[in-house]
This record gives sequence, structure tokens and C-alpha cells, in this order.
Amino acid sequence: MDTLAVFVLSEALDLADGDREFFLSLANLFLQESPKELAAARAALARQDCRGLAAAAHKLKGSVLPICAPRLFERAQRLELLGRQGDCAEAEPVCADVERCLAEVHAALRDVIAGGFPS
Amino acid sequence: MNHDSTQRIAHSFGSSAPDCFMVATILLVEDEPVTRMSMAARLKRLGHRVLEAGNGREALDVAGRERPDLIIVDWMMPEMDGPTFCEMVRRDPAMKSIHIVLMTSHDQPAQIAEGLARGADDFLSKAASKQEITARVLAGLRTGRLVRELETTGAQLESSMLLLQTKQTEMEADLQSAAAFVHSLLPPPGSPAPGFSLAWEYQPALTLGGDLFGVAAIDADHLGLYILDASGHGVAAALRSASLMTFLRVENILQLIGSYDPATVLREANRQFPLSAEGEYFTLWVGQIHLPTRTLSYASAGHHGVLLSPAERPSRWLTRPSSPLGFDQAAVFAGDQITLQPADRLFLLSDGIYEAPSTTGEPWGRWRFQQAVEAQQHVPLAATIAHCFTEARRWQAQSDFLDDAAVVGLELSV
Repeated sequence: MDTLAVFVLSEALDLADGDREFFLSLANLFLQESPKELAAARAALARQDCRGLAAAAHKLKGSVLPICAPRLFERAQRLELLGRQGDCAEAEPVCADVERCLAEVHAALRDVIAGGFPS
Repeated sequence: MNHDSTQRIAHSFGSSAPDCFMVATILLVEDEPVTRMSMAARLKRLGHRVLEAGNGREALDVAGRERPDLIIVDWMMPEMDGPTFCEMVRRDPAMKSIHIVLMTSHDQPAQIAEGLARGADDFLSKAASKQEITARVLAGLRTGRLVRELETTGAQLESSMLLLQTKQTEMEADLQSAAAFVHSLLPPPGSPAPGFSLAWEYQPALTLGGDLFGVAAIDADHLGLYILDASGHGVAAALRSASLMTFLRVENILQLIGSYDPATVLREANRQFPLSAEGEYFTLWVGQIHLPTRTLSYASAGHHGVLLSPAERPSRWLTRPSSPLGFDQAAVFAGDQITLQPADRLFLLSDGIYEAPSTTGEPWGRWRFQQAVEAQQHVPLAATIAHCFTEARRWQAQSDFLDDAAVVGLELSV
């Protein structure tokens, strides 16, 4: 069982110094940008470009930090490492895992955007 | 540097706010939009003006145009990575001292060393807490400000040095000009009167000397001569000496006292040139030769450097115990007379020559001067004087004299 949280709203808000409006802007930007990084990782993997895979995973990993999504961060980090190690074969299932985790985070963010912050 | 943008906001923190709290212009270079937005917001919340660039090339343009106080740059970026950007900034004289913080997840010593070697000043993890980000930014701004202050101080020092050098050059030119003027007042070597020849050598300790001398016709039958020695040396002594020299001009003396009688001249000089408030004074020897009878009248005010060196008889010093000028307003200076013989040589010298110290501190001494003169009795007068200087320099083992050195020679023809 995965013990890492999908998304920790309280920490994300803390990083945004409690500025909810700013956090929503950040979340929207993440929703817009993160699929591009995932697509870049997928494309790199398809052409067995391990350096490209590592770069895309690194970028995705960086974008997750302000959002506070520990599970996605951990998967992206693992994918980056495999890319650095030149292990594209092993990276395939991890990339799929990253895709799942990203979808979870997107869903959680959309909930916050649509439903507002819990009181 | 964008100094205008760096304003203290200490008022927000009260009078005890640390110096590091200031509004600065920070350039944030990050290709990943979410991270850039998050970091930019944090810096803006700290009160800073934030400029953003998505890659190293764009950042170089912004940095060159805006001269930020601090640059935070991501290590991994397409087109130009962080370390390459650092190198480019360090190569630019206008930007080279901007403080640069490299954002990285690299924490291996080799990678840190590479970042430092390529121009980074500090490192920041993207996962750093907001407290750490705040602390590193403030530390970077503080360091950057100190570097700018050092550069400013260095530039001011360099500017002051240039100004000083210019002033010194001007002053040296003035001194050279003054020295040339004083030199022009000294008697020309040659024949100051029928049957007499004159030669001299003079080396001031500094550009301007305080020891001066004169040989000039008083009238058709009289030749006047003097040597004065001002205590101290340099510009102040030279100015005082020039004043006494003006006083000793024949026209002035004749107008003041009606004759060039040496003892009377000294009495009047003693009255007009009292000891200065700084304790400065003159020694002075004045002589007058009655040309038809070759009678030398002379008097001395504390000056011991006049030697009569006859061709066939022992030399003798023409002086007697007396006070320098200005010590006692009522002082009386005794006059003496001798008759000069053909081929006699008279040497007027300043103490700078015979007090020239050896490396152990022993003065060359009047008797060594006398020996040098007597050994050179049969060579031309100018050569004898040159020999004296050579011997004194050999004695003190250096070319320059610590005090003004002057030797004036007057020779009667055979």
C-alpha cells in the first residue's frame, strides 16, 4: 500500500503563505503545464532517449514541489533516476505510474478549484 | 547594479531592523513555469522587485539591461544551463560582481565544487523551506551589497590616488620651477672681479635647498660674498633663505646701512631675522674684499664653514665663536680682516658637506674637507670642489646628501 499522500493541501497553502487565490493560480498553471512534461517524458521513452527522459522527469518533479504532492514527487524522482541511469526498459512501468499519480493530483486540484477550500 | 531599486524598508521592522532587510531587484531564471511562479511569488512577498527569465540567454539580456542585485538561477535548463550562465555573467565586467544563487538538487561535493568554480556564490535546493529561501536571499543581498561597497571604495581609492598623483606631478613641477628660479639667483661661475675666479657646486637635499650663497661686485673696488645656511631643509627653509638672500642684495644693503661692512650687515640681519616661532634660524658668513689691497673683511653669525687655503701656507678656518642669527637681538658680531695673497683660495661651504655621515654615523668633518682641498691645491678650482664632493659621497656611501651641500670656491690669480 502506498503510504505517500496524493496531495497535502495544508502544506501547499503554507508554502503559498496562506494565499488561496495565489494557490489556485498555481494549481491552474500546474494543470496546464504538467501534461506537457509527462508528454515529453513519454516521447523520450518512445525514442529510448534516456537523457531526455531524465530532463522531462526532472522538470515535472520540480513543478510538483510547490503543489505538495508527495506521491507524484517520489515517482517523478524515480523516473528521473532511471533516466539518468540509462535504464529506459525499467522506466516504462514507472512512467505509467507517474501518469496515474499525475491524474490523481489533477483530480485533487480540480476538486479544490471547483469546490473551494475546506473550512 | 540597480542601486535605485535597493531601498531599505527598515521602517517596516522598526529601528532594530537588520541591515539586510531591503527591497532589491532579483532576477529569477527558471524554465519550469510552476516553480518560477512559486519562487517569484515568495520573493515578491518579501518585498522585492522580481524579474523573470525562462532560460539563460534571455536572462543574460535582462541582467545586462536591469543589473539586478541578486540572480537566482536553475541549474538544469535547456539552451543554456545555470553554470554556463554563471560563467557568462562573471566574464562581463559590468555584471561580474552580481551575487548568484544556483538552484539545484545536486548536493554532491563534486557538483557543488563545479558550481562554485563556474561562478555561483551560493546554492539553494528547490525543496528548501520558505525560511531557508528567505535567509539565503537576504544573505546573498547582504553579501552583494558588501561587494558593491568594496568595489565603490576601491574605485574611490583609485580615483583619489590618481588625483594625488596629478597633484604631486603639479607640485613637483612647481618645485622644479622654484628650484630653477633660486638657481638663477646664484652667482655665475667665472670671474666676478678682475683677478678672481669663481667656481661652485651645490646639491640640495631636496629639490629646493635652504643653503644659498652670493658673490657680487659692490662697487668698482669691492666684492661682496656670503653663504647662508637655514636650519632645516625643503620648501620652508628655501623660502626663508630666499627672503634673507633678497635682504643681502647689494643694493638693499647699501640702501639700508650705507656699506657692505660684514659685521654691520650681520647686526642688521640679526635684527630683521629673529628666531622663528618654530625655532628656525640662519647661520651666515659675510665677507667683503677690497680689490685694490686684496683685503678681506669678514664676520660670522654661527657659520663655521669658510676656509682660506693659501698656495704655499697652511689652511685656516675664517671663523670665530658666534651665535646664529636671531638668538639675541643685542648680539654684536666681531669683524676680522686678512690680506689675501696671489693664488689663495677661499672656500665657503655649508655644513651639509662636512657633516655628511658615514654608515656608522661619523661626520666627514671639516678637517677631511681641508685635507681634500690641500691635496688638490694645484688642480683647477672647479676640479678641487668636484673632488671634495666625490670624497664626501664616498664617505657617506651614497650619492644624495641628507642636508643641502654647497661648496663655493674663490681663487685669486697668481
